[in-house]
Amino acid sequence: MIAFGTSITKPEIYAQCAEPGISRAVEPGSDVFAMPSVGSIFRSYNALLEHFAPRPDLEALVLVHQDAEIVDSDFCGIVRRALEDPDVGVVGCVGAVGVRSIAWWEASVTCASFINRYDEHGGGELPSFSWAWSDAPAYARMGDVETIDGFVMVLSPWVVRNIRFDEHLGSFHGYDLDLCLQVRQAGRRVKTADFRAIHHRQLDMVPDPEQWIDAHVKLADKWDGQMGIGTGAGSWRDRALRAEADTDAALLLAHMNTLESDARVDELDRGLTETRTSISWRLTAPLRQLPVRAPKRRRPELTPRRLSEGLKSPDTP
Amino acid sequence: MIAFGSSISGAEAYRRYAEPGIRRAAEPDSEVLAYAAVEPVGRTYNLILEAAARIQGLEALVLVHPHTEIADDGLGEKVRLALSDPQVGAVGCAGARNVTSIAWWEGEVVAGDVRQRYEEHGGGEVPAARWAKRITPPAEVEALDGQLLVLSPWAVRNIRFDEALLLSHGFDLDFSLLVRQAGKRLVVADLAVVHHRPIEQVGDLAVWVQAHIEMAEKWDQVLHDPPADEPTWKRRARQAEARREAARAIAMSESLRLDARVLELERQLDAMTSTASWRLTAPLRVLNRLRRQARGRRAETGDDYSERRRWD
Repeated sequence: MIAFGTSITKPEIYAQCAEPGISRAVEPGSDVFAMPSVGSIFRSYNALLEHFAPRPDLEALVLVHQDAEIVDSDFCGIVRRALEDPDVGVVGCVGAVGVRSIAWWEASVTCASFINRYDEHGGGELPSFSWAWSDAPAYARMGDVETIDGFVMVLSPWVVRNIRFDEHLGSFHGYDLDLCLQVRQAGRRVKTADFRAIHHRQLDMVPDPEQWIDAHVKLADKWDGQMGIGTGAGSWRDRALRAEADTDAALLLAHMNTLESDARVDELDRGLTETRTSISWRLTAPLRQLPVRAPKRRRPELTPRRLSEGLKSPDTP
Repeated sequence: MIAFGSSISGAEAYRRYAEPGIRRAAEPDSEVLAYAAVEPVGRTYNLILEAAARIQGLEALVLVHPHTEIADDGLGEKVRLALSDPQVGAVGCAGARNVTSIAWWEGEVVAGDVRQRYEEHGGGEVPAARWAKRITPPAEVEALDGQLLVLSPWAVRNIRFDEALLLSHGFDLDFSLLVRQAGKRLVVADLAVVHHRPIEQVGDLAVWVQAHIEMAEKWDQVLHDPPADEPTWKRRARQAEARREAARAIAMSESLRLDARVLELERQLDAMTSTASWRLTAPLRVLNRLRRQARGRRAETGDDYSERRRWD
């Protein structure tokens, strides 16, 4: 039996995102436990692990963020194939190697089969590099990784019964990396598999920087060089000075990008104003007021149904 | 007498921006010390300082970046007022307090009417360091912006730019620290200045990062409470690495958000210009454009013409 678990802080987000994806993925015998959050994600996920650990028929537990949507209808088949090797402990659709901190995306990402769907500025989608394998770069591949992104996380029964999220690390950040490190330390494997998901989230990757920084430091202190976490070139003094320089460079880049973007926005605003105030636009205003007789054509959208259908095509790695 | 100096790395930029500003601010007896740039920037500025130090009756030396235009007719008067306190070693149009690195703009910024003018995307103008909450001058600061530096005669005769800073970034922070180390004060005056510079202010961030480290190596004892031992350095490194990765993630998020904002407007403009009515009236706009071009040509050749109705 493949089980699905979610910790919910916003029921409407769960209903809109995770629930449709789980409904798409489940099999007749699947057990779905959508549980109100009981505190930090570490604690809530441990509660889910405790809930499913006694199930003798458990084949896998899929932990799904409330804002994550699985798009594959044959998801369970993919999970079974990925867990065929009993050494595999954790499976995801996004992963990296050479990881040194909770900012796993700063490492060498090998697989990123997801779309970030956002609502800001009229909404949009940002497909990651292995969303469509036909367009994927040469470094895109599935297989062993050091960590996965925890927004959809598949755990083997062994992990469900033997590993726990470390509740000392904070409230949210780093839970996925720490679990993967524990699993690997216990001799099990972490790997990526060919399933896809949509992450419905805002564009802000770090809305709570101070908590994120705190989690970064705690995790670096906990692993302190083990499994590569917290390592770096040079003395501590060298590393401090370099990191401080890099921080200011990142901020400078952000300032320049903002100015660049604002300049482009001003340019577009001018274009829109010139168009709206032009005589030809005003002359033809009555034409645009006429009722549209033609049936409204729906803008093609990347709906989950279309995605799921699309994935039946041979777009595989 | 107030002298002006410039290290000219781009003759055209100096002619277009710095020179008109100097002309605007100069007084009848002002001397202009314009030197071809020798790398690093400190080397040329030291040449200018040597020349200025020989000037009898020097009241101040204004070092102007070739891309900086002084837009202040009253600069001389403001400079004299700021330097009337003999403890003031240098004056600028912008600077900051709580400075910990060459990125002085991440501190508490003090600036008056200082603007950045760019040419990309049809051109525009924004307040310099506009992300910062600006404190209104006059005010004392810890570091001055090197785009415009006004040195007292004392500074001209006693302080030199560090020519060992080969990467040039941060020469202004270094000079500011040298002036303060010698016991003099730095002040930002309310000077109107325009920086004509591209949106991408720093082309090679890797070089800038190296310069940042170079400056930290030299001044860390002054800019930070220096760690006493290895464990304290380790703590600082851990915090710094966490902050770096947070800053990068925030920069990436901001970039995505800004792209989304641009995309939204591009969609709007695209929706408007792809309407049937807009396409229908395209010939009118083509005709109008040709008419304007022809009118422009006639104007260039001196033909008389009357203003006609604008069609789009």
